[in-house]
Amino acid sequence: MRNRSILIISLPLLIATLLVVMSLSITLGSASVDWQTVWRVIFSKITVINQWVEPDWADTTETIVWDLRMPRVIQGAIVGSALALAGAIYQGVLRNPLADPFILGVSSGASFGAALVFALGWQIMWLGQFTLPVVAFLFGFGSLMLVYFLARVGNKVRMETIILAGVVVQAFIGACLSLVMALANEQLQTIVFWMMGSLSLTEWSYNYVVFPIIAIIAIISLFFARELNMLSLGEEIAHHSGVSVSRTRFYLLILASVMTGAAVSVSGAIGFVGLVVPHIVRLIVGADYRLILPLSIIGGAIFLVGADTFARTILAPREIPLGVVTAFLGAPFFAYLLRRAKREYF
Amino acid sequence: MLTISNVYKHLERKQLLNEVSFNVGNGRCVGLIGPNGAGKSTLVKLISGLEEPSGGTIKIMGKDIRQWSVKKLAQKVSVLTQDGLSPYPISVFDAVLMGRYPHLSFFQREGKRDIQRVEEVLEFTGLADFRDQMLDTLSGGERQRVAIAKAMVQEPELLLLDEPTTYLDIGYQMNVLNLVKDWQERESLTVLMVLHDLNLAAQYCDELILMDEGSIVKRGTSEEVISAQMLKEVYHASPEIVRHPKLNIPQILL
Repeated sequence: MRNRSILIISLPLLIATLLVVMSLSITLGSASVDWQTVWRVIFSKITVINQWVEPDWADTTETIVWDLRMPRVIQGAIVGSALALAGAIYQGVLRNPLADPFILGVSSGASFGAALVFALGWQIMWLGQFTLPVVAFLFGFGSLMLVYFLARVGNKVRMETIILAGVVVQAFIGACLSLVMALANEQLQTIVFWMMGSLSLTEWSYNYVVFPIIAIIAIISLFFARELNMLSLGEEIAHHSGVSVSRTRFYLLILASVMTGAAVSVSGAIGFVGLVVPHIVRLIVGADYRLILPLSIIGGAIFLVGADTFARTILAPREIPLGVVTAFLGAPFFAYLLRRAKREYF
Repeated sequence: MLTISNVYKHLERKQLLNEVSFNVGNGRCVGLIGPNGAGKSTLVKLISGLEEPSGGTIKIMGKDIRQWSVKKLAQKVSVLTQDGLSPYPISVFDAVLMGRYPHLSFFQREGKRDIQRVEEVLEFTGLADFRDQMLDTLSGGERQRVAIAKAMVQEPELLLLDEPTTYLDIGYQMNVLNLVKDWQERESLTVLMVLHDLNLAAQYCDELILMDEGSIVKRGTSEEVISAQMLKEVYHASPEIVRHPKLNIPQILL
């Protein structure tokens, strides 16, 4: 079948590209490391394989590769995958090409939570360095729930209403956020920097927590591709085909939002990935979610790792906010594809 | 097959359906006719589980449909609507394959048997040459044919049609209804169809149920239901009624 052959060809290609981009990203920076060393350091950390690797590099090289750049590149891949997949799901569920992972207020909520943590200098004891991501996640999830229940009439949620509810909640939380920012003098810069998204605060420990959450949700989401296809044909058609429409939508919104929340909580609200990557995938392979979902996962990872490499190298030693780079790279590329596309694709 | 007892539906103050009761026997083809707002489409929505009745029971094969999940209901009932499938860029084959969904569990992928069923139906509906075409490149009539193929693959016991010919030219109107008729005869399917066109209803249905203002006014053969008096009463119109020269059934001339 056509779909399967597209996946068989494109998935290994994209995964290979991702590995190349990731290792390239690790080689670049204030101290450059050649890529053989990069891979040998990585192999030396893996049991069984490490017996064939002779460590002949300086300790500082190992620190740079393994403790500084590796976690960051991996987090870029995880966050990029999560945002792109969440974007694809939101676009499918809401049947709206403008939907992105932040449309239902997850990012505003998370930003507000993060701003509070920065401004008040909160450090919840037993959470330690996880205070920021946990608070951001909970606030993000809370605002999604607020949007969902605002939009609910009886036990039905109309997709137009939920988008409007998202706008309302975002406006309100946006105001709260501005208030916190206006009152927080010294912390303002940190808050602004966080809101524009960055991977510079990465630690391995974040990845250990975020990766399993996002991986599990991503795998579950892949099984919903069929339902997303049917929802795209129309709500009634989906119902007549046996899809429990409101329940399926609820599950999908929860899955996508938890994923978004987890991603945003460690990296800030990085815009444009979730909007652009699924669209690029769609323009290339068509409207079938059985292709869009898996390809968006890898595409998002490549896109974000690439963007982050730009962000930290192009004006080195200064770092540009990642959100700025994603929009800078994403918007023109998207515009180009959009002009080139011959027919409606959404 | 289908038993409807004292089913009514109101939306806030508005009574959409007064207590309606009727049944449709196995393998029958029954037409629902009546003016706009008579409650025909509401009835179809209730039977397909898209909306819930305010009271009364709907039974399919002796089972109250409220006991069934959406998926279980879709194993028994297929629906063809007037809008049909959206012009979404997905291939005919994939769209028809979706008809297998109610027979698969969440983690189950489509197997050989499902694919084979789709191939058979594509052949039967004359869509084999279209299989790789995208829905958005097809005409409304062609898409409606794909919708029938999808409904067939679903292997239902009961087929509901809600004005499936509204947007089609006469060629496709006949084409779609002939396809349904062939299918019904081949698999002794039970069919309940809402039709606006009384001539088509008289030609394709074994029996007609005439509705007006949320109630059933009359049930019987086309002979019994389509009469000058009834048209005057229900439609407030007085068209000419003539006999079909070949089929010997009543037809109306506007």
